[in-house]
Amino acid sequence: MDEGQDGLSEIEVEARPPPPPRRRRLPDWITGNLLLLPTSVWFLFLLVIPTLLVVAYSLGQRGVITPVRFSWGHLNFSNYNLALNPLFLPIFTRSIAYALVSTIACVLLGFPLAYWIARFGGRFRNVYLVLVIIPFLTSYLIRMYAWQFILQRNGLLNSVLGAIGLGNDHTFLNTHFAVILGLTYGFLPFMILPLYASIERMDKSLVEASYDLGHGKTSTLFRVIIPTVSPGLIAGILLVFIPAVGDFVTPELLGGVKTQMFGNTVYDQFGSGNNWPLGSAMSVLLMMLILLGVFVYLWRVGEEAL
Amino acid sequence: MSDPDRVSLAFIWDTASPHFSRRTFMRTMAFASAAGFVAACGSSSKIGTGSSGSTTRPTFSSKPEAKLLNFYNWTDYIDDKTIPNFQKQTGIKVVYDNYSSNDELFAKLTAGSTGYDIIVPTDATLVKMKHANLIQPLDLSLIPNVKNLDPRFRNAAYDPGNQYAIPWQWGTTGIGFDKKKVGGAVTDWDAFQLPNVKGKSSFLDEARDAFAMALFALKRDPNSTNDTDLDDAEKYLTDLKKKIKSITSDYQDPLKSGELLLSQAYSGDVFTIQADKPNIEYVIPTSGAFSWVDSMAIPKGAGHPKNAEAFMNYILEPKVGAALTNFVNYGSPNKAAQPFISKDILTNPLIYPPADVLAKLPFQKDIGEDEIKYSDRWTKVKTA
Repeated sequence: MDEGQDGLSEIEVEARPPPPPRRRRLPDWITGNLLLLPTSVWFLFLLVIPTLLVVAYSLGQRGVITPVRFSWGHLNFSNYNLALNPLFLPIFTRSIAYALVSTIACVLLGFPLAYWIARFGGRFRNVYLVLVIIPFLTSYLIRMYAWQFILQRNGLLNSVLGAIGLGNDHTFLNTHFAVILGLTYGFLPFMILPLYASIERMDKSLVEASYDLGHGKTSTLFRVIIPTVSPGLIAGILLVFIPAVGDFVTPELLGGVKTQMFGNTVYDQFGSGNNWPLGSAMSVLLMMLILLGVFVYLWRVGEEAL
Repeated sequence: MSDPDRVSLAFIWDTASPHFSRRTFMRTMAFASAAGFVAACGSSSKIGTGSSGSTTRPTFSSKPEAKLLNFYNWTDYIDDKTIPNFQKQTGIKVVYDNYSSNDELFAKLTAGSTGYDIIVPTDATLVKMKHANLIQPLDLSLIPNVKNLDPRFRNAAYDPGNQYAIPWQWGTTGIGFDKKKVGGAVTDWDAFQLPNVKGKSSFLDEARDAFAMALFALKRDPNSTNDTDLDDAEKYLTDLKKKIKSITSDYQDPLKSGELLLSQAYSGDVFTIQADKPNIEYVIPTSGAFSWVDSMAIPKGAGHPKNAEAFMNYILEPKVGAALTNFVNYGSPNKAAQPFISKDILTNPLIYPPADVLAKLPFQKDIGEDEIKYSDRWTKVKTA
């Protein structure tokens, strides 16, 4: 596909008459890099330097009055030993489990919706997409507080269940269910949007061809539609899983005493746990693990997707 | 493939855009990270070496201050007439602004010059601010009314000799509970064991407060730095954790809505809830509890420290202090104000506890680097 386009443009260039002498301009590579400059500066100051600071903190000594003491002479690797303490393992696996379940829920909820908008949305497609995005206009915190009101003991959900005779004294808040619900709700749009982009561009005739060649609906879904939209699906999975695994706001507001996630433990190290180097080491490890996971995932599953 | 010119919102997520090559992307990022690393090498060696400025403040005695005072206080924490009367008396204009948590106040102050002349942190935060060099010592010669303070607040562990702060109002960290639903008498920390509150209680998400609860229950020193005491307290909290709903400092709404039936709580918060929900009550546990005190302090670099000291002196006047307490319903640290405080407040044992109870209400002590002993065990409790 790309080769075809490149070939075409080369032919066009050759077919044109030789260009008239022009004013001297900057070489293309300089122009290109100039365009990239603002974003690079942005990334440099708000991503690269902060990340390096976290790495530096993770090699420092802790303190109460000055939270971190760092010196090149005394790099302190013991924070990593501490971060790998089995004490934190249950919380770590819990975070992965929450993020996985939420990601699966997002796929199951997001795929049909994205498919419907792309295929049957008609001229209202963009309206539907805006509806998907609208919750984003409200602060994530406020939306989680809203879920507190819905899920609490005398909240909306219990009143509705009571009204239809299913009892009104269920515990929803501060449970695994509440946290997974919050994560799924919060990150669902990240699944819908890339899926929509993929489905929207899928050639409809592929589905018809599949039917013509004798495939049923299920077979068409798994052997034609899903492979075709896999770039969007993979992007969606990454966009949901990565923020979900590091989240700490949702378990803080909807969770209870048994729902702490890794993000909360990291957060606590900068507050009441009073151990910035440990918190930094934990962040670095989590970051590396996620990056490694993403690379393996893309290599095994989505080589052609990105 | 669809028309590439068509505008669709979803294309911001388009991952298969043809003009994007992974290699160029990686190369650019590698370049940027290298540049970042070089930049960070120059600066990161300074991490954590905060400026250790002098502890005495520069005096500009020759230069009079403008008649202005920027006052940053908790919400709903002042009598309507406190400020107007001060303005009338002194001609100093007061700009009044509010915050709703110690963390908010601390974050603002750490972020840099705020322009505020008086802030009102709680004792533990005051200690943190003192260590972080965010507040300046007071000139007590300008606050003669300091003699009106109850002796308990003259040499308290958080600020001996009122070097940095003048107390505003005080209270305790006890238990708030729903008296109709807990199904038993709540008198001490063991109320967490009542069958009705299983899975419906909470304790504070503050290491020192939570450990103090355990240490009081175990009849140890609530400010202990002894490893055996703290290990026992850690075990107490880990066991208790299995019976509660959450570790949170945001217990007010859940307590109001019935989500929580019993919480470790600050007295003032519970009195506020009580105004809406009369069945919520507060108790000072019989084995003891921490006292907390909110104190007026002057941030480093404040523009009008003398006006701030004049205001502190004014608050310590007996009638002013009494009017303040009569309005906000907390305990006043001002002993001379007591004759003017309403009988209802003075006789309320939860606000003015009798002497034998008062003896079991110590302040949180500044334990310096030993704070780490609490922090590490707190991490274990929270992750258990």
